Amino acid sequence: MKRKMIVAVFLLMSSVLLSACSGLSHADDNRIQIVFWHSMAGPPLEALNKIVNDFNQSQDEIYVKPEYQGSYEESLAKFRRVGGTDNAPNIYQAQDIGSKYMIESGDIVPVQQLMDEEHYNMNQLERNIRNYYTVNGKLYSMPFNSSTPVVLYNADAFKKAGLDPNKPPETYSQFREAAKKLTQANKGMKGFSFLNYPWFFEELLAVQGGEYINQNNGRTGLATKATFNSQKGLNIFKWLREMQKDGTLANYGTSGDNESSGFLTQKVGMFMSSSASMAEMFKNAPFKVGVAYIPRPDNIERQGVVIGGASLWLSKGKSAKEEKAAFAFMKYMASPKSQADWHIHTGYFPINPGAYKEPIIIKNYKKTPQFKVAVNQFHDTKSTYATRGPMMTLMPQSRVIMSRAIDDLYQGKNLQQSLDTAADHVNEAIAQMNLANKK
Amino acid sequence: MAMENPTTTGQVPSLNMPYRTFWEKTRRFQVALLFLLPSLILFSVFVFYPLFRTIYLSFFLTNQKGLPTVFVGFDNFIQLFQSADFLQSVKATFLFILYTVPASVVISLFLALLANEKLKGIHFFRTIFASSLGVSVAAASVTWLFIFNPTMGVLNRIISLFGIQEINWLADPHWALLAVSMTTIWLNLGFSFLIIFGGLQNIDQSLYESSSIDGAGYFYQLRRITIPMLSPTLFFIMTVSLINAFQTFGQIDLLTGGGPGQTTNLMVYAIYKDAFVNFNFGKASAEVVILFLLILIVTLLQFKFVEKKVHYQ
Repeated sequence: MKRKMIVAVFLLMSSVLLSACSGLSHADDNRIQIVFWHSMAGPPLEALNKIVNDFNQSQDEIYVKPEYQGSYEESLAKFRRVGGTDNAPNIYQAQDIGSKYMIESGDIVPVQQLMDEEHYNMNQLERNIRNYYTVNGKLYSMPFNSSTPVVLYNADAFKKAGLDPNKPPETYSQFREAAKKLTQANKGMKGFSFLNYPWFFEELLAVQGGEYINQNNGRTGLATKATFNSQKGLNIFKWLREMQKDGTLANYGTSGDNESSGFLTQKVGMFMSSSASMAEMFKNAPFKVGVAYIPRPDNIERQGVVIGGASLWLSKGKSAKEEKAAFAFMKYMASPKSQADWHIHTGYFPINPGAYKEPIIIKNYKKTPQFKVAVNQFHDTKSTYATRGPMMTLMPQSRVIMSRAIDDLYQGKNLQQSLDTAADHVNEAIAQMNLANKK
Repeated sequence: MAMENPTTTGQVPSLNMPYRTFWEKTRRFQVALLFLLPSLILFSVFVFYPLFRTIYLSFFLTNQKGLPTVFVGFDNFIQLFQSADFLQSVKATFLFILYTVPASVVISLFLALLANEKLKGIHFFRTIFASSLGVSVAAASVTWLFIFNPTMGVLNRIISLFGIQEINWLADPHWALLAVSMTTIWLNLGFSFLIIFGGLQNIDQSLYESSSIDGAGYFYQLRRITIPMLSPTLFFIMTVSLINAFQTFGQIDLLTGGGPGQTTNLMVYAIYKDAFVNFNFGKASAEVVILFLLILIVTLLQFKFVEKKVHYQ
């Protein structure tokens, strides 16, 4: 008797649990469900969830279900597996350097197609960001979270070192000089830090107008050769090596977290960072944080920065109804209001310049004008093939390879040789990929 | 069951019975197979099929979706053996084994011997020593990430007390592998301790009693009774730790990402990068096959040379 009772209780409990679970996953069966794979974590995740919830509540036809799929690399590996099948999500957030793969995969619908059908005004999107995701005159994906590199510096330490915190360094030699002064004036502090994250190298190349691969950065044809081992590439390495010799360069390896904590605990005076982490730094630093443009060599004119971050892709093979629903959500994400919220809570740029007129941004800029520096640097960018950024399927692999070259730099190896070896490895990988794709 | 008692069914228990069919002759095998079937099915799906598929893929170039396109024979293997990167990851793997396996076995043996003493409150220590068994690789790595943190880490605070220059544990190529090894040893301790401790508890106490009567001291007993009686357990632990060390992934991914300068790019991590970042399944499969052969050879060598010293009761 007693046992039967217990079994009955368990059965009851599990059925309640099951129905509760299914209740969660289908908010409303009449709505079109849109699965959205993303890679946002931490503060951006909160901001994203808020936008999605707002969208779901704003209407009752579409229900967007966001699913975190791990880092950009992890989620790309998953998408490669399910792309083109029923298991593919309706919307997929792909990292900038995954774009070329997405275009070639044949598993996606270019957003331009829906924009044309619905007469969506593309010009409301930021031109420089559109440029990145436009290939052969077609906009392939909807920009969403876009960031650029900036230099963050400890303004208090600047004062202590006799530097003007309102006039940060601009050129290599100015940065080198400032790093020396910071190291001397602040006990336990190194002037500059350069993380082993090859995106920064790509950006320092672009700011000089240097192209990463041939065929105009892979924009006018399939790239066949790496070109980052040019004089411009060497400039970057030489500059970092000089600071290393001065003893003013900190090395945090590949750990961005260690670097940030080094900056926050005043062990590093200046470092290259993504604009996307500005909001967090302003909040957490016990000192005033300044924002500067990324450095350039003394004798080369500034070309600007390449847009980084990720964009949203539409899966192919879904019903027209789902496609339209997914696009409706994309439009919502790109609206000035969503983008203003997104910008303030993360530091990613508004992809829709209309956002700059939103009161929340105007108010925030008054409080933290440093935000503006990053935006200005981005708007000062000249549109060239260099600043539109490299397009190549093998970009993720080239980052693995470049990361070794940067290790070589820190270990004191010959600079030109390290760059040449990296270029050779990229060339080999390209050759092998072309061979594999021949069939 | 009829086979076990042939007289009741009137069969003659002889091997040369020409009238017995093949079906009858393999009766025992069939029964065994029936019992093995569930695990055989699972193994074929999750082990044998992937194994053969991997070997198959290792002879191909794969496209960006990971599908085999061009047959290249042994090219993938030849390229690997000519690649300095791959040889470096083999070297790093063996160094890692050298740093971790003996140290974990020796330390956990030491802890097990301590915990085996009959003292007041020893149960508390037994629990503590075994506790790292309950910690996941991810949680442990994140904890150690804090310990190794160059600016705020405990480890650097401690060594700076002794006047030693701060070390950039995870970013310095001289230290990174050692740092990862330290984490791994700590992670291994719980499991090794538990197994060795279990082995110690199993040793017949009368052996110690009679040797004490004969006047044997602690270390003599340790050398002549404890270690020989424990040798099957120690052998088991060594084999398992060795294979685990070959397959290490989580700590590397979370602590160093294979850097700096490839010093911690162990084979399984290199395979992961080639397969899931570079999407080069052909090359990655060839690396898997080589890793498989290496583990096989090392384990066989271990059985051939070390097992001789093992004393089974």
